[in-house]
Amino acid sequence: MSASTHSPVLKHHFGDLNQQHASERLGIWMFLATEVLFFAGLFGAYACYRLWYAAEFEFASSFMNVKFASINTFFLVTSSLTMTLAIRCAKLGDKSGIYRNLLLTFALGSAFMVLKGFEYAEDFHEGILPGASSFGVTTEQHNIKHEAEERGLDTGKVRLFLCFYYIMTGIHGVHIIIGLGCILWLVQMNYANALPPENYSTVEVVSLYWHLVDAIWLFLMPMLYLAGAHIPRLH
Amino acid sequence: MSDPNLVPATPPGHNDVLGHVDSPPTLFMVYAAILALFALTVFLSSTGQFGKYTLFVQLAIGSVQAGLVAYHFMHLKHGDRIVVLTALASIFWMGILFVLFMSDYMSRSRVVG
Amino acid sequence: MTTATTVTLKIAPPPPEPAPATPNYLNVDYSLWSWLTTVDHKRIGILYLVSITAFFLAGGIAAGIVRLNLLSPDGAIINEDQYNRAFTAHGVLMLFFFLIPAVPGVLGNFLIPMMIGAKDLAFPKLNLASWYVFMVGAGFGVFAILNGGIDTGWTLYPPYSSRSSTSSVVPGVFGVFISGFSSIMTGLNIMVTVHKMRAPGMTWGRLPLFVWSLYATSLIQLLGTPVIAITTLLLMVERIAGIGIFDPMIGGDPVLFQHLFWFYSHPAVYIMILPGMGVVSEVLTCFSRKNIFGYQAVAWSSMGIAVVGFMLWAHHMFVAGISYYSALLFSFLSMLVAVPSAIKVFNWTGTLYKGSITFQAPMLFALGFVVLFVIGGLTGLFLATLGTDIHLHDTYFVVAHFHFVMVGGMVLGYMAGLHFWWPKMTGRMYSDWWSRVAACIIIVGFFLTFVPQFILGYHGMPRRYPNYPQEFHVYNVMSTAGASVLGFGYLIPVFYFTLSLFYGQKATGNPWSATGLEWQSPSPPPLFNFDEAHMPVVVAGPYEYSLGIDQMGRGLPEGPGLGTSNDPSSKHGETAAPGPMNKETHVVG
Repeated sequence: MSASTHSPVLKHHFGDLNQQHASERLGIWMFLATEVLFFAGLFGAYACYRLWYAAEFEFASSFMNVKFASINTFFLVTSSLTMTLAIRCAKLGDKSGIYRNLLLTFALGSAFMVLKGFEYAEDFHEGILPGASSFGVTTEQHNIKHEAEERGLDTGKVRLFLCFYYIMTGIHGVHIIIGLGCILWLVQMNYANALPPENYSTVEVVSLYWHLVDAIWLFLMPMLYLAGAHIPRLH
Repeated sequence: MSDPNLVPATPPGHNDVLGHVDSPPTLFMVYAAILALFALTVFLSSTGQFGKYTLFVQLAIGSVQAGLVAYHFMHLKHGDRIVVLTALASIFWMGILFVLFMSDYMSRSRVVG
Repeated sequence: MTTATTVTLKIAPPPPEPAPATPNYLNVDYSLWSWLTTVDHKRIGILYLVSITAFFLAGGIAAGIVRLNLLSPDGAIINEDQYNRAFTAHGVLMLFFFLIPAVPGVLGNFLIPMMIGAKDLAFPKLNLASWYVFMVGAGFGVFAILNGGIDTGWTLYPPYSSRSSTSSVVPGVFGVFISGFSSIMTGLNIMVTVHKMRAPGMTWGRLPLFVWSLYATSLIQLLGTPVIAITTLLLMVERIAGIGIFDPMIGGDPVLFQHLFWFYSHPAVYIMILPGMGVVSEVLTCFSRKNIFGYQAVAWSSMGIAVVGFMLWAHHMFVAGISYYSALLFSFLSMLVAVPSAIKVFNWTGTLYKGSITFQAPMLFALGFVVLFVIGGLTGLFLATLGTDIHLHDTYFVVAHFHFVMVGGMVLGYMAGLHFWWPKMTGRMYSDWWSRVAACIIIVGFFLTFVPQFILGYHGMPRRYPNYPQEFHVYNVMSTAGASVLGFGYLIPVFYFTLSLFYGQKATGNPWSATGLEWQSPSPPPLFNFDEAHMPVVVAGPYEYSLGIDQMGRGLPEGPGLGTSNDPSSKHGETAAPGPMNKETHVVG
């Protein structure tokens, strides 16, 4: 089996490209299963407390910025579309199409993180933080702490929700950043002509990861931002 | 060099290395559906009409959205059996965690006897 | 079927002894750099072997400190705070840095590709990365220990671990977090390899049971480890940020940590035991020259343990404050998992029955496994029963139970595997006599160490206590004496294994006359496991000892300790008379 008879993309321990692609696809799906279980632990914990402290959790959720989260949802779902189109371009050997779709995905993912940054800044400014010394500490008098007390809710449990908010969006954000890094790596590979049609599966592997991060957001968003969407503010 | 005796890694009907190529119109329709469902969930949550079942409605809509992403964008539509099994197994295991966690948290307040 | 007829099959003669591989995977390059940058699964298995042996020694020293301290009712050598750190170090080192990586990392990495007839695992670079990630994680763990240790117990329960403990919690927990990724990588690699890289003819029904059990182990590693990852992450966040989701002051529930922790840590014990069970299936069949009794049952029971094992974790929490109804459910599910384990034990017994049994070291260790695992498993039932667990929880009964299954089970399984495959991995035979002596000393030392602990626990001595009432003195002394014997027993293999590397008789390709594909290659194997021009093609099941054929349908060489003229299984080309235990098998090709 000399090197000249098989594709440079084929790795030595595989028999043929189909086996290689199938293995890579199965491998990334199994990794995604681990990510599902990773977030499942977090979602499960959230679910237990949401069950026990429904009033406080719904109240706290009403202070989340649904507008920002909706725009971010639009960014992320669109980026999933462009990422899928990137695989299609790779299969068709459309090198400039690969660039276009990968860079669009990168731009949308970055926009998500930038908007998230603005969102966190706004939260810090309004004292929507879990720490005892920072909760409700803001110049605005009718802030989250004040309103919780007015409604007779336990501010501790409100802060518990905020712990979840920061931990869940934070871990999700870390996953986005890792995804952005992987996309840049693909762009570099494309530049080096390393994404011919036989190697489309490398794009597919990153794409599958990206879709999972999107799918997780599709659950995260309603859980954190829409739990209290029906609650009007007192002031 | 392909060894014909190797256990086939792809389902029958695929002879070429590339497999299925997506059609952009389908992808765009799926995309629009996911966004429409999102608008629906935001709307239904804000009306509060489902009361304490709002969470279930949200999760149901989220599941449909995630299902669309998995089936079309993540190509489960054309996946090997084992890939589909992996995806389903991850959901099943998540289910084990949820159900058994809830078995404790939902019944703690109930006192024996 | 009442008439016994002798069926003569046309079986190819035993293959000639394969020429020693030049180069083999060991001597192809001697440089350290080649070892540290290898992507060869066999070398990575050896890297794991060296590292986990070091952690086993460290964990053993910690155990020695614990047992020495318990020689006196008031704590003989260290104070309470140091004692907390000693038993925590013992637990963390042994569980996370020895038991979980041991068989998958060492034997799994080395053998899986060979057993299925592949050139390597599916993702060789990921495999090397898994070893480095493991070492980084272990590095943090060792740093934590050298930095004074952790005093929370290996179970790390908040709020003590998140709030009050002043010990080195974050580095230690971070080490566990990182090494978990290594576990996931190895599990993923093994699963994809078994799915996609089997040799032609190697159907799922012809997979060696070792592969089945490692597949089941990998399933658990894949799905369970992420939960300990998120749990340790949440714990570190709470400790560093001063606030978190387990904090009772804001409505958090420390029992939630326990749920998340045990969701992984209970299946983790099946990660530890399943590979050992796989080794036992391989060794018992080879050294009783018989097909496994009930291949399907053993294969499916591995999967059954893996799946059902995820549904019973809260039996560690019966007295922690979970709801009574939930406890009932978990107690029932915990009893359920005993069924597949028992199925295996019955099948192993059926395998031994009317076999031609010889007692080389691998067999002694495997038999020891079966006996000790049965005792350990049965005592688990007392703990799974709600009423008795109230009395026994957090006593030495629990300690004895899990040491029976983990040491008497898993460590013996690991030793059996090491002794069985040593000739394949190193190309050398070790001293038969000394290995049998070591096995006997280990088993005797084990009994002496842990049986008194059952008695102690039943009479109420709590675990993790550095002191105890005078009436427990004699049992503690017995246990410590046994621990010394056990420790001595573990040292003996260090000597004969090391000596074998320099002075051991050169091993043939198939010294035990075993049927697996890994034995059809020279010892040590060449770089890509088999002659690349003649990759294996499988025609038979994995344990056709009574037919006298290997998995490629060729005859078996003369095994050591066998071959008296009255021994039917040593006559090549003839089968033993069909009887209740000899299944007829179709040989293809």
